[in-house]
Amino acid sequence: MKRRGLLSILFDYASDKKRYYIVSIIAAIISVASGIIPFYFVADIITKLIDHKDVFTDYLMDIIMILVFFLIKGLFHVISTSLSHIAAFQIIKTTRKRATDSLALASLGDVKDENSGSLKNTLCERIDSTETTLAHIIPEVTSSVLCFLGTFVYLMILDWRMGLFSLIPVLIGLISYGTMTIGYGRYYKTCIDKTKILNDTAVEYINGIEVIKAFGKSESSYEKFERAAKEGASCFVEWMRNSCVSFTIAMSVAPYTLLAILPLGGILYYNGLIPINTFVICVLMSIGLIAPLINAMGHADDISKAQVIFKEIDRIVRIKQLDRPKVSKALPKDSSISIKDVSFGYKNEEVLHDINLDIKAGSQVAFVGPSGAGKSTIAKLIASLWDPNKGDIYIGGVNIKDLTLEDYNREVSYVSQNNYLFNVSIMENIRMGNLNASDEEVIDICKKCGVHDFIMNLEQGYDTVVGDSGSHLSGGERQRISIARAMMKNSKIVILDEATAYTDPENESIIQKSLAELVKGKTLIVIAHRLSTIINSDDIVLVNNGVIEAHGKHQELLDKSELYRNMWNAHIQAKDGDIND
Amino acid sequence: MIKMLRMFFSFCNKKRKRQFYLAIVLTIIMGICEASKLPAIWWLFKNIFEGTFSINTIWQSLLIMIIPLAISCICRYASTMLQCDGGYGSTCEKRIEIAEHLRYVPMGYFNANSLGYITSVTTNTMEQLSDIATRVVMLVTTGLINTVIVVLALFFFDWRIGLVALVGVIIYLAFNTIMKHLGKKFAPIKEKADLGILSNILDYVLGISEVKSYNLYGKYSKRMDDANEYGRKVYSKAELSMIPVATIQTYITRLIGAAMTIVAIILCIQGVNDLATTMTVIIGSYIIYASLDSMGTFSTLSKIIERCVQRANEILGIKTMKITGENHETKTTDIEFKNVSFSYDKKKIIDDVSLKIKGNSKVAFVGPSGSGKTTICHLMARFWDVQEGGVFLDGKNVKDYNIDSLMDNFTFVFQNVYLFNDTIANNLKMAKENATQEEVDNALKLACCDFVYDLPQGINTVIGEGGSTLSGGELQRLSIARAILKDSKIVILDEATANVDPENEEKLMNAIDALTKNKTVIMIAHRLKTVRDCDNIFVIDEGKVVQSGKHDELMKQEGIYKRFVLDRKDAVSWKI
Repeated sequence: MKRRGLLSILFDYASDKKRYYIVSIIAAIISVASGIIPFYFVADIITKLIDHKDVFTDYLMDIIMILVFFLIKGLFHVISTSLSHIAAFQIIKTTRKRATDSLALASLGDVKDENSGSLKNTLCERIDSTETTLAHIIPEVTSSVLCFLGTFVYLMILDWRMGLFSLIPVLIGLISYGTMTIGYGRYYKTCIDKTKILNDTAVEYINGIEVIKAFGKSESSYEKFERAAKEGASCFVEWMRNSCVSFTIAMSVAPYTLLAILPLGGILYYNGLIPINTFVICVLMSIGLIAPLINAMGHADDISKAQVIFKEIDRIVRIKQLDRPKVSKALPKDSSISIKDVSFGYKNEEVLHDINLDIKAGSQVAFVGPSGAGKSTIAKLIASLWDPNKGDIYIGGVNIKDLTLEDYNREVSYVSQNNYLFNVSIMENIRMGNLNASDEEVIDICKKCGVHDFIMNLEQGYDTVVGDSGSHLSGGERQRISIARAMMKNSKIVILDEATAYTDPENESIIQKSLAELVKGKTLIVIAHRLSTIINSDDIVLVNNGVIEAHGKHQELLDKSELYRNMWNAHIQAKDGDIND
Repeated sequence: MIKMLRMFFSFCNKKRKRQFYLAIVLTIIMGICEASKLPAIWWLFKNIFEGTFSINTIWQSLLIMIIPLAISCICRYASTMLQCDGGYGSTCEKRIEIAEHLRYVPMGYFNANSLGYITSVTTNTMEQLSDIATRVVMLVTTGLINTVIVVLALFFFDWRIGLVALVGVIIYLAFNTIMKHLGKKFAPIKEKADLGILSNILDYVLGISEVKSYNLYGKYSKRMDDANEYGRKVYSKAELSMIPVATIQTYITRLIGAAMTIVAIILCIQGVNDLATTMTVIIGSYIIYASLDSMGTFSTLSKIIERCVQRANEILGIKTMKITGENHETKTTDIEFKNVSFSYDKKKIIDDVSLKIKGNSKVAFVGPSGSGKTTICHLMARFWDVQEGGVFLDGKNVKDYNIDSLMDNFTFVFQNVYLFNDTIANNLKMAKENATQEEVDNALKLACCDFVYDLPQGINTVIGEGGSTLSGGELQRLSIARAILKDSKIVILDEATANVDPENEEKLMNAIDALTKNKTVIMIAHRLKTVRDCDNIFVIDEGKVVQSGKHDELMKQEGIYKRFVLDRKDAVSWKI
C-alpha cells in the first residue's frame, strides 16, 4: 500500500468537511497573531516605566490594546477549535461507515480472516481515540508551531543576537536527547520481545486455565507467568535507567531559555550593545518561547498513534471488494443454478477443482461427502460469500457477478449451523428477513415455522432481546429463530448448510417438520451429515477431495459409488434411531 | 485531579505508593528550583537600574540559576526513575495479582467470553496503563505545583501582586471544577452513545454473514447509522459546549497577567516598588500563565485510568473459593449429591437434587438443553461451590479436598479442546510429567492418533504453528490421548463432541472407548444410542431429577425420556 501521511488520509475522509479544517487553520493563525501582538504593547509599557512616565493614563491605551487582542485571540480560538471538533466527529462517523460498508462488500472469507475482536476494537474504541488528535491536532499544532515561529521572528527583529541566544538551551537539549538514541535499537528490541513473551504467556495461562487446573499444574504455570510479567516490566525500567541522564538534561535545559538570555543579554547590555527596554522585553518573550514547541512535540506521539489507526482503517476500507456492478445487468429468470468450471481455493491451497453442476429450478439437491471434501465450500460459493477463483456461477441464467449483491441476496437464503442473532428483540431479528414486514407478518411466519409458541412462552415474548447476554435462549432456540428469519425473506433459493447439526432432538424434530412445509416449491440445497435425512432428494451430489465424484438419486448412488455405499453403511450403524432394534 | 491520583493510587500497592509520593515531593523541590528564575532576573535588573551592574552581576545571577538547575536535574532524574519503576512495577504486580486470583476462581466461571475478557485486560489494558502510569504523577502535578510556587515567590516581591495572582489562580481552578461538572453532565449520554455504537459494531462484525445475505449494509443499515449519527451529535454537542468555557478559562490566565501588570504599574508610579521589582513581577506574570497553560484538564487521561482500574478490579472482584483442603487419596469413586441447590446470577439452576452414582458404573444425564445436566456434572468436580446441600466423593465433601487432589480423580472430554502452543509430547506430558516414551506412544495409539507419526516432526511437532495445523478431530483425539495418560478414575463426557462426520466419529468413539475402559463414566448424553447401555440414566428437567433408571425401565414410563426417544426417531427418519 502506498504510504500516506495522516493529513492526506484525513482530507480524504473529511470529504465535505474539508472547508471546516481550512477555516479552522486560518482562525488558528489569527488567534496566534493576536497572542503575539500584545508583546508590542508590553514592550511599550516597559519603555514608559523606564522613562519614568508617572501618569497612569499614559499606560491605559496599552492595557486596553492588550486586553482587546487577547479577546480576539480567544474568539478565534473558539472558532478554530469548534470547527475542528465538528470536522473531527464527522470524520469519525464517515470513516466508521465506510469501513463497515467495505466489510459487507468484501468476500466473506477475507472478513472472516480478520480477528473479530480487533475489528470491533478498531471500529469502536480505536476510531474514537483519534478524536483528540483529529480535533486538536490541526488548531493546536499549527498554532503551537506558529506561536514559536512568530515569537522567534519578533525576537529576531528586536535583536537578532538575543534571538539566537534563545535557541542555545534548545540545542543543548536536542543534543542530549540525541544521545538517548544510542543503544535505542537494542533496548527497543528487548522490550518488544519481552512484551511479546509476556502477552503470549498471559494468553496461554488464561485460556489454558481450565486445563492447567484440571491437570493440577497451576503452581508451575503461575510461576512461569510471574517470571514473564516481571521481566516484561524490568526491561523497560532498565531501558529508562540507561537513557535517564540524557532525558533529564534534555527536559531540564531545553525550556530554560533564560539560562542563555539572561547572562548573554547582560554582556550585550554591559557593552552597550542593547538598550535596557529591549533587554527586558526579550527576557519576557523568551519565557513562553519553547513551551509551545514542546507542546507540539507532545502531539507527535498522538499523531503517530492516529496515523497507525487510520492506516489500519484504510486497510479495512481497501479490503478487496467482490466484483459486482452498480446496477444488475439482467435479473434471474427462474431459480435454477448452474455452476460452470468452478475452481476455488483459500490462500494457496485449491480446495475445489473444476466443478460443473446444474440444479433445476424448484428441485431439492443434497451435497454429501466426507468432512473437508468441499461440499460446504460449494454451498458458500453459491451463497456468494466468496467468489470462485476460476469459472462462473449462474442463477436463473444470469452470472452472479452481473448482479448487484443486493439483487442477488434477494434470491438466495443461506442458513448455516451458526447463525448470528442481533442484539435486538426477536421481532426485529426476524424482521431483518424483510424490513418491510409488519408485526403481523412476522408473527404469521413464526407460527408457520413453529416458533410462535416458544416465543410466547418467554417472559417478554417477541420483545425479548436476544443478545449474548441477558437472555437464556438455547442454541436450538436460536437456530429456530434464525430459520424463521430466513423464511421471512422468502427467497426462491434456500441453502441449508447443516442447519440442524447442533440442536437437541426435541428442537431438531420441530425444525425439520416446519422446514419441510416452508421450502415447498423453492430450489433447496441441503448439506447434511445424517444421510437418512436426504435420501429422497431429487439429486444427491457426492463431493470428495474437491471434485464431484458422482451424483444421482439415492439408489443410483448406492449402486454406482463405493464411497457413498460406505458412508451409508457407517451411517446406518451410528444412527441414533436404532434404539428399539 | 486529586481524585484521579487517588484512583490511581488505590490501584498500586504500598511500596509503589511510597515511590509515587516521593516523586511528588521531588517535583515540589523541582518547582522551587524552577522559581529561582525570578530572583535571578531581579538581581540582574536591580543592579542595572541602581547602576551597580558589572560582569560580576552576570556571574552571580547565572549562579542563582545554575545551582538550583543542578538540584532540579538530580530531582528529575530520581523522580523519573521512581515513576518508571513504580509505573511498570504496579502494572506488573497487578498482572500477577490477576493470575494469582484466577487460581482460586471457580472453574465454572470460565468460558470463551470471560477468558477473552481476562486476556484482554491482562495484556492490552495493562499495557495501556503502564504507558500512562509512568507519567501520570508528573503530568498531573507539575503544572499545579509550579504555579503555586511561583505565586508564593511573587508574595516575596510584593504581597499585593502575590494576592492578585492568588485570586486569579483560584478563579482558574474554579473554572476547572465547572468544566468537570459540564463534562459529567454529558458523561451518561456519551456512554449511552458509545454503547449503542459498540453493540451495533459488534452485531455487524459478528453477524457479517447475515449483514451480507439480508442486505443490511449501505443505506439499509439504519440502526447502525442512527447510532453512529447519535454518537456524532452527542459528542459534538458536548465538546462544543465545553470550548467556550475552556476559552474563558485561558482568557482568565491572560486577565491575571494583565491585572498583575496594572497593579505593578500603579505601584511603580506611586514609588512603592522600584523598577527591578516591577520588571520582575511583570515577567513573573508571564511565567504564571506559562505554567497554568501546562496544567491542562487531563480528561482523557483520567478516563483511561478509570477504565483500566475498573477492568482490573472487575476481575479481582470475581468471588473465589477456598481450595486448600486435604490431600485425600480416594478409595472408591462413589459420588453422592445430598439436597444440592445451586443458583447462578440469581437464577436457580439446580433445585434440591439428591442422587447417588456408584463407583465404576456408567451413568448418563439426559434432558432438554438448559435443564441443568451439564451443571450437575460441573458440580461434581467443584467447578462451582453449591449454595445448599453437599456433593460428596468417596464419602468426603468435595469442599474438603485440596483442589489438585480432587482434580486427580476427574477427566473431562468437552467440546472446547485446549492444547498448549507447545510440542505434542509436552502437551501429553502435562498429564503425567514423568511419562515414559512407551506410555506416550501407547496413549497415542489408544486414542487413534497415528497421524502424529506422519508429521515431519512427529511428537515434537509444535501445535498451532504454521504448517502443523491439525484438524478439529485430530486435536480432539490428542486431548483424549492426554486424558488417557492422566488415567483418572472418573471420566466426564460431554457427548456434544460426538457430533462429527461419520469417518471421524468412528475414530473418536474408539478413542473414547479406550479412555473410559474400567472407569466411572458420567456422560452428558445428547444421543440416545449410547445411553441404552448405561447402568443408570438420570433425566433432568428444570434443575431437578425427574426420572432415573435403566433405559428399559424408563421406556415403560410416560415421561420426558420416552418422548425424547420418540422425537429422536422422528428426527432421524425425517426426509426432505
